[in-house]
Amino acid sequence: MAKTYDYLFKLLLIGDSGVGKTSILFRFSEDAFNISFISTIGIDFKIRTIDLDGKKVKLQIWDTAGQERFRTITTAYYRGSMGIMLVYDVTNEKSFENIKNWIRNIEENASADVEKMILGNKCDLEAKRQVSKERGEQLAVEYQIKFIETSAKDSLNVESAFYTLARDIKAKMEKKQEASNPAGARTGGHQLRNEPQRKPTSWLSRCSLL
Amino acid sequence: MDDDLPTDFQVIVVGTGMVESIVAAACSRIGKNVLHLDSSDHYGGLWASYNFDGLQKFIKEVNSDPKRQLQVYNLAEKWYIEKASAEESKAEGEEKPEDGKGDPAKKVWTQDSFAAEYRKFNIDMTPKLLFSRGPLVELLISSNIARYAEFRCVTRVLTWLSDKLMPVPCSRADVFATEAVGIVEKRQLMKMLTSIVGYNEEEMNNEFKDWNDKTFKEYLTHKGLTPNLIHYVLSAIAGGTNSMPCLEGVKECKKFLMSLGRYGNTPFLWPMYGSGELPQCFCRLCAVFGGVYCLNRPIDKVQTKTADDGKTVVTIDSKSKTLNCDHLVIGINECPKDLISPEPAESCDISKAVFITNGSIMKSDKEPLTLLRFPPLSDEDNAVTVLEVGPATGSCPKGLFVVYFITNKVKDAESDLMPIAEKIFDMSGGDQTADTEKPKCLWSLFYNVKDTSAPVASTADSVHVCSGPDAGLDFDRAVEQAEQIFKKICPGQEFLPRAPDPEEIVFEDDVTHGPEFQREDEDAEGDAPKE
Repeated sequence: MAKTYDYLFKLLLIGDSGVGKTSILFRFSEDAFNISFISTIGIDFKIRTIDLDGKKVKLQIWDTAGQERFRTITTAYYRGSMGIMLVYDVTNEKSFENIKNWIRNIEENASADVEKMILGNKCDLEAKRQVSKERGEQLAVEYQIKFIETSAKDSLNVESAFYTLARDIKAKMEKKQEASNPAGARTGGHQLRNEPQRKPTSWLSRCSLL
Repeated sequence: MDDDLPTDFQVIVVGTGMVESIVAAACSRIGKNVLHLDSSDHYGGLWASYNFDGLQKFIKEVNSDPKRQLQVYNLAEKWYIEKASAEESKAEGEEKPEDGKGDPAKKVWTQDSFAAEYRKFNIDMTPKLLFSRGPLVELLISSNIARYAEFRCVTRVLTWLSDKLMPVPCSRADVFATEAVGIVEKRQLMKMLTSIVGYNEEEMNNEFKDWNDKTFKEYLTHKGLTPNLIHYVLSAIAGGTNSMPCLEGVKECKKFLMSLGRYGNTPFLWPMYGSGELPQCFCRLCAVFGGVYCLNRPIDKVQTKTADDGKTVVTIDSKSKTLNCDHLVIGINECPKDLISPEPAESCDISKAVFITNGSIMKSDKEPLTLLRFPPLSDEDNAVTVLEVGPATGSCPKGLFVVYFITNKVKDAESDLMPIAEKIFDMSGGDQTADTEKPKCLWSLFYNVKDTSAPVASTADSVHVCSGPDAGLDFDRAVEQAEQIFKKICPGQEFLPRAPDPEEIVFEDDVTHGPEFQREDEDAEGDAPKE
């Protein structure tokens, strides 16, 4: 099967219920904003392929499937993720405070070098704002994570947020490959990550059942 | 936050073990409104995997709670290494992947270095393999749940013969390549295996009609197999002992042989990050189709009542809230005694052990993933299943192996399993860098688990009790039981039809603005991730 992309990145959306994770996902993948269909169909993840510096990057963006509601995200959700969007709602103080808890959760379960980014969503609702942009920026500085305010409804910054995260992952990946290439040696067993550029010698020895 | 938990569901599932999770997924998949609870703060119950920190917590919890000891008991943890290294180790932190050839200098592990890398461990309470053509693999593929999990192939099957470890020839090519059996034996073995694979149900009944009350060993002897070959077929392939009934042996062999050649050199797959991932995969599917999840949610009381229209309603009290459902699916360990009918008979419990070692039980070019079926040491003993997994499976940091022992209990876990541990590990502690023939055991845990795997009937039609993990090698019984429970709840409905890929979900309407995008309250209402 011909590969239609150079890289495949698994990204996650994390944050409290109701902050707009699914809306952000749909804005980015479908360029749509419509709540009615979101709640009806079982959405696992959405895919969008973007062009980054001449490379086709396939983004597979996973939604929490509502398992964040009572803090019951499965550890399996974090496996193999390369980038995480931490989302809060600027009109909801609690969701902002919880970002710290979510970061702890990520540190516990995701790979140590996962790229992260904080999104303050619903920034179109200026009248209801509870969390100032400065506080968002401050939090981001504290954790040394990039930050941007978004509006899935008005299609503000959603696009650039995903591009930024994808670019950071790509840069990290290429740096890693450069570092490991001179040695040229593969260590025993296959890499746990998707490595589209280097196909494992035998797909049989590590297989997804698909 | 728990308090906006809705109260009315068609199906409530209590416990996130394997059977419960499959039933939850199956019900949610066909549109039932499902609530899935667990009293604990993590998924899986007795089927869970823990990182090293989580495992320590688990041990502490069990040791301090007599109620938990009804399920898990005789827990004995032991270290064979120092608490901290005497001198500061020179290369702290991230070990760079070893480049070049040859073994890197062996790292000296301490209890502190285990603690520092605690997240890299995924230690299974119920380690199991999947047969490549077994029911769970087929179900994962047909339901599309396979996309939530990754697997590695078991690279070799070993046996213990003439007081040493020997590889078992699995495939046709293996049989021809092996030096362990002579030419004549090879032909005999091939003939035997080929005929077993070839039998269909009817032929099998014909061929074996006189063997109903005889053992598999008697059959193999009758067929003229040499003692060597009998050992391979009976112990290593069928996983049986001298007393294994003939037909069971044939069926086990066939299952083994039928799963060859699909994914790797052996018939087995191991789930990446441990068996505890698998229940979670089913939970994810349940959630994707609208199932509501709530951990840390113990239940206090279960009652069944008949409503005015004659329908039975199950009510569950949980944290001063009453939850209602048409069907309750509940793990046996969470189930109130009065709902179980009759009390399950005393069964043989399970003895288990986990070892962390600094090398594989048998050296190999590439990182091995090993199944070893250790034959009984004496007539009173049982065969022991040994699974060895390495860093490539996400089970432990580089340089270590995790080894699981599972058997039916005779005395207690330590007495049952220590003799075998001593045969394949160096249990003496001491210098880790020394080049020993056997790998050093650095840490061990022995424990017994109550066998709750027998199917249990409940006192009410609308309550369905799920069994606990069995001592078997695979998940087949769990899958079978989950399907039976599902069929009772949803008669005539398809069991886990294929879930669509995200690409296949097409939205008919164009971009239209839905309801006003705002929410006054902090939390969402409704069941689905409406955001």
